[in-house]
Amino acid sequence: MDLCVFGVDDGYAEAIIRGLRASFLTEAQYQQMKNCASIPELKSFLEETDYQNCLQADNPQIPTSILRQRLKKKLADEFEYIEAQSTGTLTKYLFHLRCRFMIDNVVNMIEGLKNKIDIEILLSNIDPLGWFPEIKNIKVLEGDDYSSLYRDVLIDTPIGVYFMKFLEESIENLHENRTLNDIQNLFREMKPEYIRTSLKKMWLEDFYLFCEQELMPTSQEVLLELLKFEADFKTIQVIYNSIGNRDLNTAAKIITTRKQLCPTIGNLYPDCEKMYLQAMTLDTLREAVKGCDNYRDLLKDAPDPLKREEFNVQTKTLDDIMYDDECRRYALAFDGQGSYGVFYSYLKLKEQEIRNIIWLAEMISRKLAKNHPGWKKIIIPFSHLGK
Amino acid sequence: MSFFRSKKMKYYSLVIPRESAWVVMNELARLGQLHFVDYDPQLPMINRPFANYVKRCDDSLFKLSCLELLLKEFKKNLNYCENVEELLDYFSQVQYDRMKPGHTYFDELESEIEQKKIQIQEQSANLQNLLDRVNIITEQQLVLENAKEILGQSMFQQQTPHNPNDYQQLKFGQLIGVIEKEEEVRFKRIIFRVTKGNAWVQIKDLNNQEIDNSMRQSFHLNQNNTSSPRCLYVIVYPGADESSSLKMKLLKVCDSFNRQRIEYPNSMDELQRKMMELNQQLLEVKNLIEMSKQQLEQSLDELVLQKQGCNCSYFEYMRLYVLKEKYLYVNLNYLTMRGSIFTGYFWLPEGLEIIVEEKLRNAMKNNRDHYPTGQIQEIKPYSTTPPTYFNLNEVTMPFQEIVNTYGIPRYQEVNPGLFTIITFPFLFGVMFADIAHGFMLFLCGLYIIFWKNYLLKQTDSMFNLMIPFRYLIVLMGFFAFYNGFIYNDYLSISLNLFGSCYSPEKQEWKRESKDCVYPFGVDPVWQASGSSLNFMNSYKMKLSVILGVIHMLFGILMKGVNTLYFKNYLDFFCEFIPQLLFMICTFGWMDFIIIVKWLNTYENNTDPSIIETMINQVLKPFDKPVYPVFPNEAEFQLHLTQILTLIAVICIPWMLLPKPLILGSKNDKHKVNMSDSQYQPLVLEKQVSEQDDDNNQQFHNDLQNAANLKSFSEQTNEQHDSGEIWVHQMIETIEFVLGGISNTASYLRLWALSLAHGQLAEVFYDMCLAGKLDIGGILGGLLGGYFYIVFALLTFGVLMTMDVMECFLHALRLHWVEFQNKFYKADGYLFNGYSYKKILNDNLKQSNSK
Repeated sequence: MDLCVFGVDDGYAEAIIRGLRASFLTEAQYQQMKNCASIPELKSFLEETDYQNCLQADNPQIPTSILRQRLKKKLADEFEYIEAQSTGTLTKYLFHLRCRFMIDNVVNMIEGLKNKIDIEILLSNIDPLGWFPEIKNIKVLEGDDYSSLYRDVLIDTPIGVYFMKFLEESIENLHENRTLNDIQNLFREMKPEYIRTSLKKMWLEDFYLFCEQELMPTSQEVLLELLKFEADFKTIQVIYNSIGNRDLNTAAKIITTRKQLCPTIGNLYPDCEKMYLQAMTLDTLREAVKGCDNYRDLLKDAPDPLKREEFNVQTKTLDDIMYDDECRRYALAFDGQGSYGVFYSYLKLKEQEIRNIIWLAEMISRKLAKNHPGWKKIIIPFSHLGK
Repeated sequence: MSFFRSKKMKYYSLVIPRESAWVVMNELARLGQLHFVDYDPQLPMINRPFANYVKRCDDSLFKLSCLELLLKEFKKNLNYCENVEELLDYFSQVQYDRMKPGHTYFDELESEIEQKKIQIQEQSANLQNLLDRVNIITEQQLVLENAKEILGQSMFQQQTPHNPNDYQQLKFGQLIGVIEKEEEVRFKRIIFRVTKGNAWVQIKDLNNQEIDNSMRQSFHLNQNNTSSPRCLYVIVYPGADESSSLKMKLLKVCDSFNRQRIEYPNSMDELQRKMMELNQQLLEVKNLIEMSKQQLEQSLDELVLQKQGCNCSYFEYMRLYVLKEKYLYVNLNYLTMRGSIFTGYFWLPEGLEIIVEEKLRNAMKNNRDHYPTGQIQEIKPYSTTPPTYFNLNEVTMPFQEIVNTYGIPRYQEVNPGLFTIITFPFLFGVMFADIAHGFMLFLCGLYIIFWKNYLLKQTDSMFNLMIPFRYLIVLMGFFAFYNGFIYNDYLSISLNLFGSCYSPEKQEWKRESKDCVYPFGVDPVWQASGSSLNFMNSYKMKLSVILGVIHMLFGILMKGVNTLYFKNYLDFFCEFIPQLLFMICTFGWMDFIIIVKWLNTYENNTDPSIIETMINQVLKPFDKPVYPVFPNEAEFQLHLTQILTLIAVICIPWMLLPKPLILGSKNDKHKVNMSDSQYQPLVLEKQVSEQDDDNNQQFHNDLQNAANLKSFSEQTNEQHDSGEIWVHQMIETIEFVLGGISNTASYLRLWALSLAHGQLAEVFYDMCLAGKLDIGGILGGLLGGYFYIVFALLTFGVLMTMDVMECFLHALRLHWVEFQNKFYKADGYLFNGYSYKKILNDNLKQSNSK
């Protein structure tokens, strides 16, 4: 049914996305990029592609950070255009997508301010996709007083809800007769990375709920599947990273932290929850997730987190493996018609493309040898299709 | 000058030493008759020898476009070039005067452009800075003034409280500054939250855009709409303590809004002093603006200036030169470089070798360093078919365009464009037949032809777009006019020009004499008789079928001409002849009996029905026709139809069977020889190259071998197996036989559209004019005028625009489908001459001032 009426409101936006799909760099183009000897050469190559207009005004010797900013700006512009063309549920949906970037921006700002980095630099580095007007007011933050930050600034913002929930949860976890001091201590110890993970977890759960309640069945079918996998990946990542983490010294603490950070959706939850919360080595983690699909295969190649010190550029980390698998799934979303999945996938895949370009730019600017394993460490969107 | 077939092309190789590559290419581009062949289309542009130059040209063009924006902003009008030929002469003059190698001129220009761009952008940025500065100062002034008003005198007269608990003596602090207008609500909210409602916030619009624009106007600058509206805020909070936590927090919040905050002076005197100071600053900055503006205008004027002997502004001169240079390098990239020699291949229309060679000699002469210039040498074209090249003029161009839109003619194939010149307007005229409407269209075309130069300057004129099609319109108008006479239709009224042969007599029409015939067109008496529609329908229908069959037969004949020209005798005997016979024996015969029926008179209702005759000829092949077309010769007609039907039936297997059979047997023979023949040419080539000691030649041959191999693999792909040939031939046959019927029916649109046109005209006439003009008196005059206007508007809107379009489209379809599918292959590609003139003409800009 929804296939008949999808085009009424969202057909145009979907058509734009499918048009933009053609802008992805191809494998041959990646090959050419790898052959570039210097940054100006890379830039002039990118000017032959869809990135032409956003780079033209720049100096040939463009720093990687600015390059990244330009590429992201282009993606943000495209996204904004689609947002402007959308109505009703799609607008809400697209806004939800933006929230992820807003969370990143807020956490980056907090982190930067804590490290006493100049606000101008921070503002110039924020992801244009997650820009919102209140972001510059985060400067008001004093010390580690997140609750006043929330009260004064973030309360109005779209991510205010998540921040509030986060604060509530973290305070609830303290013992009963907590004092103001306790709370401040708690905040002081809190790492921005921890904030980011929990905020994202809340966002993911919220987004999942939104998709479940408001979207039409075809979109749901695609999106819920994708989000479940994403949640599972998040879970595995959290568990994986907490194995052998020195900051979490007691087993009880590990489990409570894990419980807080793991999303309560996905294929693993709640069936395997007990097992993965207890997993203390890579092998037990593998055992915990074996019931689900191909996670076991993914973890098979992952390096042991207990030997973190031995990692180097050559290691294919868990993140790389996961990006690879995700990319494949997102590309599949383009196969279906009449679903919102393409918007989500487009963002994700473009992000991957930007990551690739930046990675190559880094490799090029460091003048690494062409047989360096790092050159192979890019994941090309839609490259799975041919196989 | 042949337009019937595309020009004969010859394939040449061009060898030029690296040193004179630029000179030679520069010289050849003026000629505009070479079609360069990309030696390796697979090679990406970025890997070619001159990719760097192309890139540099692009960069320069980009810089120039930045400059152009600035020129527009400062309302500088450029003089645009109107005559490319003159400009090109000027280019070469400049080159000649420089006494340096030609290609270095671009380097000079490039650095000049770079320099100009930096200089001018700096100046304009400077100006912008100063303008911003003025804005800030005026804003400060405004803020202070407003704050003074809002806070009042008493703000300065606060005393230190003796008793901190006495709230009446509580001291207040204040903050003033500017924020963006759209952040007003958020600002208020955050202040409220931070102070928990313990501060008083006043916000007032600054109207900074108006101020900004009025200030810009005073300097004669363009309006700037980029600045967002801003407003000022005044916060009053309790506690004047310098280091109170509330103040610190408020400061942080205010600063986080990124706009300026202004220190409010402590006393009235200080306030006055500050205002004075600001005024002083404002004056200084304004002086500076005046100066820097003058500087900027000066450097911009340099760009607008027209140099001696050049027919456009310097800016335009540079732009076109860089474009030209880019074009040269793009084409130079089609050549392949080996050592210091460039080798390229190009197509040249037959007979121009001498001119090219002369150009090369010229290049040598003009070349300052007297490097040897290139050589051309005719070689055998491998694999690729030559491009299709026509010498077109302004009359033939639109007609060729009509054909090209469907498909470019194959090399040397019969060009339908030639026939289209007359058949297209004629078929249009058959549909649009009306004396008045046709004449109006004709006049419209004449107007565009004679006032062309005037219209060219009218950029917003509707006629401007029709200029290239003026001859088409004239012809269309003329034929509509002519066919209007044939149908005797003048806005749905028949004209009695030559005197009708009938005159009314006792409520009947009496023919004057038996031999009386209306000399031209349809006798106007038909309109007065009740059966005019019936008569005209049958007449128009038969006429369109006759025209259609003639048109299609002509198409088939062209196929014959093509097969003979390409010496494809198989197609001639196995496709062309049966097709022609089939068409003649079926629809040709039908046309024939239509005409015979027109010419004969039949007594006592024995006139034959054409349709019945045609059907019976197939269904009852052995029965004599009841009403023969040839009066009293039923026997003869029966024999004739039997023969014709037999021929037509035989034609079908004739079209289908022989060609694939013959091709199949050839294929079998070929397969046997295949393994040998595949290698033979290569071996031969090798022998030749071994004999040749010249290194260059060797390379040359290698290249050709590569091309040869490529083409060979393509050819083998093209070799269909016999199954494919059969299917193909079957489709062709079925298409032709069925197409014969459906295409003939398709020509009935000639009748249908002219009927629609006539009926529409009649409706408009009846509703608006007929009878309305007879009412006398002033009222009648007014009504008549009113109805006349309605009539005129309807005629223009529906008939002269929509119906023209409709008839045009149907005429287009009749040509593309019914006519061209009989012979037209349309798989050629256009000749793309290497010519400065073309590229510059495409990039010329029109000045808007005219």
